[in-house]
Amino acid sequence: MKNKLTLTGVVVLILSLIIFTGCAEKKSVVTSETAPVKEAAPTPVPKPTPDTTKQINVAPSDTTTIKEAASDQSSLADATAKSPIRDINFDYDNSSIRPDAREILKVNADYLLKHRVSSIVVEGHCDERGTAEYNMALGQRRAQETKTYLVNLGIKESIIRTISYGAERPLYPESNEEAWAKNRRAHFVVTP
Amino acid sequence: MKKIYLISGFIWFACALMIFSHPAAAKVYIDVGSPSFKQIPIAISDFNNKTAGTAKAGDYGMTVSEEIKKDLSLTGIFNLLNKKSFLEDQESITATTADKIRFSDWTAIGADYLLRGNITQNDKEIIADSYFFDVTRGELIFNKKYRAAAGRIKDISRAIASEIMLALVNDEGDFNTKIAFISKKGPKADIQMINYDGSELKNITNHQSIILAPRWSPDGKFLAFTSFKGGRPEIYLRNLMSGTEKKAASFEGLNLCGSFSPDGKNLLLTLSKDGSEEIYMLEIDTLKLRRLTKNYFIDVSPSWSPDGKRIAFVSNRSGSPQIYTMDIDGNNVKRITYEGNYNTSPSWSPQSDRIAYEGLKNDKYQIFSVDAEGSNPVQLTSDSANNESPSWSPSGRQIVYASRKSSKSKIIIMNSNGSSPRTLHDYSGKLAMPSWSPRFK
Repeated sequence: MKNKLTLTGVVVLILSLIIFTGCAEKKSVVTSETAPVKEAAPTPVPKPTPDTTKQINVAPSDTTTIKEAASDQSSLADATAKSPIRDINFDYDNSSIRPDAREILKVNADYLLKHRVSSIVVEGHCDERGTAEYNMALGQRRAQETKTYLVNLGIKESIIRTISYGAERPLYPESNEEAWAKNRRAHFVVTP
Repeated sequence: MKKIYLISGFIWFACALMIFSHPAAAKVYIDVGSPSFKQIPIAISDFNNKTAGTAKAGDYGMTVSEEIKKDLSLTGIFNLLNKKSFLEDQESITATTADKIRFSDWTAIGADYLLRGNITQNDKEIIADSYFFDVTRGELIFNKKYRAAAGRIKDISRAIASEIMLALVNDEGDFNTKIAFISKKGPKADIQMINYDGSELKNITNHQSIILAPRWSPDGKFLAFTSFKGGRPEIYLRNLMSGTEKKAASFEGLNLCGSFSPDGKNLLLTLSKDGSEEIYMLEIDTLKLRRLTKNYFIDVSPSWSPDGKRIAFVSNRSGSPQIYTMDIDGNNVKRITYEGNYNTSPSWSPQSDRIAYEGLKNDKYQIFSVDAEGSNPVQLTSDSANNESPSWSPSGRQIVYASRKSSKSKIIIMNSNGSSPRTLHDYSGKLAMPSWSPRFK
């Protein structure tokens, strides 16, 4: 039961991310027939956490609500914080996997190996400083380095895709060291 | 004695060389790129209205002069003298021949050049007869007649302004150009375009997505750019006439758009499909792909020199992003920037002799330019905003860039030595990555 709830959490996170990025992943999630989350996938509102209620109730085709959700930075941050697959952070203008990130990746890999997962998208993000194009490349590099690390921890390479959002999708909008440190991240979108 | 012969021989040789390389008929143009350049003081008289009888025509003489002044002021190289300072009396102020103009009245107020003219109009057309004088020499430089359909006074003013540019600096200026840029509100961005004089702001794309780096084809007919419209970064090619778009590159991972080759046949790209972020050349017709960089580091933002010989790009191979150049086959890589630890967004001057870029200085991004060989870096902006993404005008005399301060941004045009900045467009959202078009015919 506990297992099921955590996976529901993952679905919740995925959905909120889909709504946020407006990306085309929704199809694979909504139609997902993967056994452990079968009940949750078609109408994923069993027992949502209060913070994410708003996003879950949004039908993916309702564009006006999607717009609202997209600008709702704080709920995304909350959803991210509650996910069992944690983001990892990077140093400024750097794509090396830090020691603290290694620990997180081990836990993430452990979780991913224990659950049925059909695809993982690793998103590379940068803080707002610097050049948009260079940040796109840096974000890609962060995603790539993260993917390599996950593969080394035993995750199948064929199920991992990488994408860079550069500095275009910060988790926190503020312009300070604290926000920048959290915005320099690799984020995981997991489809069961 | 022998020495004297040798020296005089050398002098003769040098003179011969000079005569050879500067034929007697060659004009001397004003070097607006030199550091000692000062704005050219110029007086534009109201044109004489020669239309018989109509009251309305009276405006045209003044209107055409005002429009010419507006056009010339955009170039950043003229000091347009105030009409109120003109000394000439009513009799000589209408004169259009050198023998009747009192040039001393013009040198007295500091003018180097003077424009005079006559204008007539009828139901169908406007005819302007322009006379341009070198005041210090007391000579006529040109006398040219222009016709335009009634109401098209701007066509006439622009033609005369272009002619003045041709006479003084040997090119027709940047009047017939546009600037494309990214306009972003919240998470959604699109490409917009605006004329050189700030008129006709237009939406070009409707992607409402992450969109980056618009690049003009050399004929001005296409824009290449990166868009996340399909959920991930892909490269699109947009036909500006028809408004149709097609995907030019959609490889696994990162697809980032660089510049076109000067012949328009190839497009430079940054792709990550082979693991690291590398620079590739895509032949547009055949979609043949060629890899130009090969190393573990980030290589991004490729820009083809207008003379076709070199490619500038950004790499972090030294540990921080810096500007490099290489041959078009990827050989002979040379580092260009050494000052500061964040130098990006290289843009070639049309003469291929300098590269403008943005660099981090005192926690702000500022515009710099440097010789293509890496010497003489010069800081061009130094205000309290973040100034990014320089792009040169076709004449090479001006640079456009994006300027951001708190939540406001501007597209600014300055002279290529950093002087005379003017705001082309401002917005409460984010404006980024301006790209200067070639000249439209």
